[in-house]
Amino acid sequence: MIKSFILPIKELIKGLYTVFKNGFKKRVTLEYPEKKKLLNNNFRGKINYIKENCIKCGICQNVCPLISCIKIDTDFSIDLSQCIFCGNCVENCPKNALYFTKEYELAVNNKEKLILKEDN
Amino acid sequence: MEVISQDRILDINIGPQHPSTHGVLRMVVSLCGETIININPIIGYLHRGLEKMAENRTYLQYLPIVDRIDYLSGFFCSYAYLNGIEKLLNITPSEKAKYIRTITMEMNRITSHLLWLGCFLMDLGASSPFFYAFIEREKIIDILEDLTGSRMMYNYYTLGGVKRDIDIDILNRIKEFSDHFETALKEYEDLIEGNPIFLSRTKNIGLINKETANQYSITGANLRASGIKKDLRKDSPYLIYNNIDFEVPVLNNEDSFSRFVIRIKEMRESKKIILQCYNWLINHIKDEEIKSNINFMHIKPEGKVISEVESPRGLLQCIIHADGTKKPYRIKWRTPSFYSVQLINNLAKNYKLPDLMSIFGSLDVIMPEVDR
Amino acid sequence: MSIFYLIYIEFMIRINAPHWLIFALWHLISFIFIAILLVITVIILVLFERKYLAFYTRRKGPNRVGTYGCLQTIADAIKLLFKENIEPKNIDKMIYYTAPLLVFSPIMTVWFLIPFTSGIIPFDSSCSLLLFMAILSIPILATLFAGFSSGNKYSLIGGLRACTQAISSEIPLFLCLISISILSGSMNLDSIVKMQNDSIFQWYIFPNILGFIIFFISALIVMNRTPFDLPEAESELTAGYHSEYSGMKFAMFFLGEYALTFILSAFIATLFLGGYNSPMGFYISDLLNLPIIFQEFLKNIEQFIWLMLKTGILILIIMWIRASYPRLTTEKTLIFSWYILTPLAIFNIFIMAIYKLLRSIL
Repeated sequence: MIKSFILPIKELIKGLYTVFKNGFKKRVTLEYPEKKKLLNNNFRGKINYIKENCIKCGICQNVCPLISCIKIDTDFSIDLSQCIFCGNCVENCPKNALYFTKEYELAVNNKEKLILKEDN
Repeated sequence: MEVISQDRILDINIGPQHPSTHGVLRMVVSLCGETIININPIIGYLHRGLEKMAENRTYLQYLPIVDRIDYLSGFFCSYAYLNGIEKLLNITPSEKAKYIRTITMEMNRITSHLLWLGCFLMDLGASSPFFYAFIEREKIIDILEDLTGSRMMYNYYTLGGVKRDIDIDILNRIKEFSDHFETALKEYEDLIEGNPIFLSRTKNIGLINKETANQYSITGANLRASGIKKDLRKDSPYLIYNNIDFEVPVLNNEDSFSRFVIRIKEMRESKKIILQCYNWLINHIKDEEIKSNINFMHIKPEGKVISEVESPRGLLQCIIHADGTKKPYRIKWRTPSFYSVQLINNLAKNYKLPDLMSIFGSLDVIMPEVDR
Repeated sequence: MSIFYLIYIEFMIRINAPHWLIFALWHLISFIFIAILLVITVIILVLFERKYLAFYTRRKGPNRVGTYGCLQTIADAIKLLFKENIEPKNIDKMIYYTAPLLVFSPIMTVWFLIPFTSGIIPFDSSCSLLLFMAILSIPILATLFAGFSSGNKYSLIGGLRACTQAISSEIPLFLCLISISILSGSMNLDSIVKMQNDSIFQWYIFPNILGFIIFFISALIVMNRTPFDLPEAESELTAGYHSEYSGMKFAMFFLGEYALTFILSAFIATLFLGGYNSPMGFYISDLLNLPIIFQEFLKNIEQFIWLMLKTGILILIIMWIRASYPRLTTEKTLIFSWYILTPLAIFNIFIMAIYKLLRSIL
């Protein structure tokens, strides 16, 4: 009888103590614009394009899961606003004309800026 | 049952935008006072046509999309899909690839369970366990990010193995994590398991008996909390689960609380599996063969295949009907949450409104998986 | 009456102010002083809670506006002030706009009953405990008003929950006040505090520990704090009774809630922890050799600091509880307060009566 009263109280105090202990552990907040996470080389960020290597084979277009993300008619272009950064095009490019950068802050005012073209 | 006149019933809409529906489930709940008379779950707010999308994409093009079926445990969907294709093409992954797949999948299982734990307690009104769970989850996700290049949409598995080799640095980080994970689990237990408020909200609430569980074809932790020992990893071991020593926790209490305990125990077992995989991998770090040499772009499998995997939420099946062309004829996904979400009316009827959240939270339903 | 009052009278007579003005101005000044104090405290409290919860959850909390985020609440208040006034379609306008006013003004009134120092007692009444009981019931009416008038089903459920919860929790709360009156033989808060002045063992928490616990838990229910924050349970009712309030109207509810937390903590400190009395039995300012006016002034400040310290510790505990526990259900809350708290509170009155009797005999 008494035990059934004391046990819940003990557990409640244990809960309080567990939370209290956490107050003295290391903070985990990363203050974003000032401090940034270190990324390793595998990171899939913004795609860059090397014009010299490209042979316009069209493989990247064929492996891309999206219909109108990569376009090759006369020029090569990637619409980064559609891109899901899956990495299929980069992996399957036979001449290594595409590569990932560590850039991930892609917010822009104008959607046109996100279309990566040959000349820039 | 007593008949309640229509004017005493209050219909309220819970969702599609609501803090506790874990995404975009809509529930039309009929209340009499605070007692639930009827719940009508309405799904489809996150329907993206992922099954139809497969029909006009090649096998390689569909691969990144597979991760998005269940974005909290992308590896499992990837595995189910690739395993099906591998079966059709008679490819056996190398031993090292199998181990890497296991270790990543078990880590993914922990992240999924941790997110569930945080959200479940958030539903019950406790705020700090959410943060504690996310702190641990963040550690795994950081490791997986460095390994695969992305935080949730991994796209890491490929035909006959994995895309990138696991290096010693990441293995050491995994080891470090799993060594410290026990203290975190202990902390969750200290904070939650004995708490009388938590017990009063979960004990003997939302009972799924064996019969109901079988009728609704519930799988995974929800089923094991009802006392039925069914786990694909033990029943028909895939990958390297044959060589690994682990247990499948089973509880007979059938209530929300046992579903909580089962998931905590499963995380412990996952940690055990991770450590065993680590021990194997650290000895075979020099093995080179991690994927098959077949070009994924040009595969043309033929036949029908069902491939299964024990995902964090239960049995995940991918049924591939290939007709010998570049594109699959039809792909069907059998996702465990879809079956759990149907239970809600059966479980929460005649309980009070706050109990609906604890019951629904304990089922670990995730909407992208339901709607696909 | 007090040293401040005497200085004030002296000053007013010197500038030849009329009598009615002296009287009215004194009340006005004390009103403004106390009201500003309350608003400042609440602003600090909101920021403090965010920082404190961040401390327990291993975060840093707000740290962008001002140094260490010290201006965060002010920035939030300014944002709320400039928000568009959104008026839902199916509201009962009169009641809808009354509710936010009704939640803040009674709380402000209760605040006046507290003896802050031996010199500053804004409203010294012989039945201030009774007033406390009466006025404290009004904010509950506001939540009910808000729930009914918003034309939202979530609000309605929240309002009803608030109402049932308030009725069930106020009874043990008031029964505890009776036990305090029995101990002190008075309903005047100042004399209750004066009874506890000798040493830490004179505090009413020592004979009346059970009453303290019951009062504390019932106060949690009245304040709608975790684990009893059902009327605004986020996971069930989105925001409960104030779902449909935006901008400054929401801010009124929000500030009212924090003000209530603060005032009830101050009340617990006054009733059970000796109010403004020093726990050591003497005041530090008494040890200094200063002119009497200075000493009196310093003593008042010290008493105020003691009261705030005690209140602060209680608030720390309340927020600590918020960080740790999940929420109870309505049903369990009602069962808890009717089946456990109320009988215990009645039992406690009985014990206190016997204790008082024994003390007067021995």
